[in-house]
Amino acid sequence: MIEIRHLFKRYHNHQDSDWVLKDINLMIPEGISVGLLGRNGAGKSTLLRLIAGMDTPERGEIIRYARVSWPIGLSGGFQNSMTGRQNVKFVARVHGAGLDVQRIIDDVEAFAEIGSAFDDPIRTYSSGMRARLNFGLSLAFDFDVYLSDEATAVGDRAFRAKATKAFKDKIGEACLIMVSHSEGILRDLCQSGIYLKDGQALWYDDIDDAIKAYHADTDSSHDNQPEAFEDLASLSLQQLHTLRLERKQAFEKARQEMEAAQKPDIPTSERKAYGSAFRVAREQWHTVIMAIQKRQADKETDT
Amino acid sequence: MAEQQLNSGGARSAWAVTFSVWYAMFMREAISRTMADRMGWFWMIAEPVAFTSVMIGIRSFIRGDRMIVGADFIPWMIVGLMGFFLIREGMMRGLGAITANQALFAYRQVQPIDPVLVRNFLEGMLRTFVFMLFIVGAQMLDMELFPDDALQAMAGWLSLWALGLGLGLIVSVLGTLVAEVSIVVRMINMPLLILSGVIFPLNHLPHWALEYLMLNPIVHGLESLRHAFFDGYHVVHGTSMTYFWMWALSTIALGLILHLRFRDKLKAK
Repeated sequence: MIEIRHLFKRYHNHQDSDWVLKDINLMIPEGISVGLLGRNGAGKSTLLRLIAGMDTPERGEIIRYARVSWPIGLSGGFQNSMTGRQNVKFVARVHGAGLDVQRIIDDVEAFAEIGSAFDDPIRTYSSGMRARLNFGLSLAFDFDVYLSDEATAVGDRAFRAKATKAFKDKIGEACLIMVSHSEGILRDLCQSGIYLKDGQALWYDDIDDAIKAYHADTDSSHDNQPEAFEDLASLSLQQLHTLRLERKQAFEKARQEMEAAQKPDIPTSERKAYGSAFRVAREQWHTVIMAIQKRQADKETDT
Repeated sequence: MAEQQLNSGGARSAWAVTFSVWYAMFMREAISRTMADRMGWFWMIAEPVAFTSVMIGIRSFIRGDRMIVGADFIPWMIVGLMGFFLIREGMMRGLGAITANQALFAYRQVQPIDPVLVRNFLEGMLRTFVFMLFIVGAQMLDMELFPDDALQAMAGWLSLWALGLGLGLIVSVLGTLVAEVSIVVRMINMPLLILSGVIFPLNHLPHWALEYLMLNPIVHGLESLRHAFFDGYHVVHGTSMTYFWMWALSTIALGLILHLRFRDKLKAK
């Protein structure tokens, strides 16, 4: 069980920085896996870091009644100049593994499947290899609560499947608090959801309700997009190019999600939803490209 | 701050956690310090040897070496250099300790002060080992480098270690938070070597200059270390270990306070 009381957090980057998290009160029960939802910058990762004890809140407190992992995901946790093996050894020792260190190293090496790179410095690793190592490392310890910050986002299909399976195997003895933009995985692994919005955290007993609430908010902003389309002509070429890059990223993300959803255990209706999202993203991307081409053609005729 | 980990499943005590962090970090630092650098072991011994030889060469070229009462020049200088290196390295290793281990603060067990303490301990151990090699080597060459008062020598050595730790603690916080501090610290290294009476004996300087130079605690520490090694050695007038320990304890206290105060900032950096 994790108890969060009157939690306030902000970063002192600017002079008048706003609260990222504002008066959050939560009680995360034992044995329940929770998905964290929210837009980019809503404070999902911050909340995860706070729960992990990496960061300290401005006000309020977090009481952990369980063994909590570090946030598993892309960011850090390894020292670049040391090899994978040395890093694993270090973390095992920090966690008081004692005589178990060798067993943990073997486990991680077997799980990560990065071959001889295990003895190369971390700085030579790709992000996927780091994720594999970090993930395998966290599984080697018997935590009660695993924190996952898009732990499965990088990494190929085989690794994703393996990671999801590993999490599923842990159900019963451990639970998860995870940040993910892939709703399929959230539905798969979590029972409850927390939706972060404007520094507030809303608790939903059912993850589906949380996803619905999240969709309801984001879709309403999507409704404005047709107007944005008509404005394409008024944008500068520079703005068009940035828009094109954004669209391209959105398209690529939609494609990845669609590919991830191509699994027999996901219902067809959901696969269709990913498919249509993919098509919409592709359409939007192409519209911008057409607009840019048209603009460039106009320029050439002008000169 | 107000965080606790209440665990029925056998949470480790705070000390147990700290010790395992120190152990893990010590093994890591020891390996990277001695093995990771190319020929790390060789330079650990060769660097002081080379430095000492160069200094001796310069000194005997500039003027004769019969100014020191009660001690031979070369052993006198070796003791001074070793003692000075202990403090300097304690300080300099602390300077980069936090930045080098930034990635490891992802594990809440690891605090910014841990790498500083561990590095300082490791550096002290290595310096002690190198010094012992020097003593044994000098003995074989029939040079008088064995301490006449071994107990006092050990006490003096540990005192210098303590001041190095205190300076390292302070510098590690300030140097990480304010980049300019680390530049200044690197800069004062060389003048400090001369002002501390490592190479030139201070005894012959006029009284008015000594009054200022004796404010530097390193002089006090080095002089009493030399006195422990050479019974008949005349220390600079006014050498006081009380003054030295006042410095050592206040720097350690200040360093610990700084680490406590800026813990979160150092972690988040």
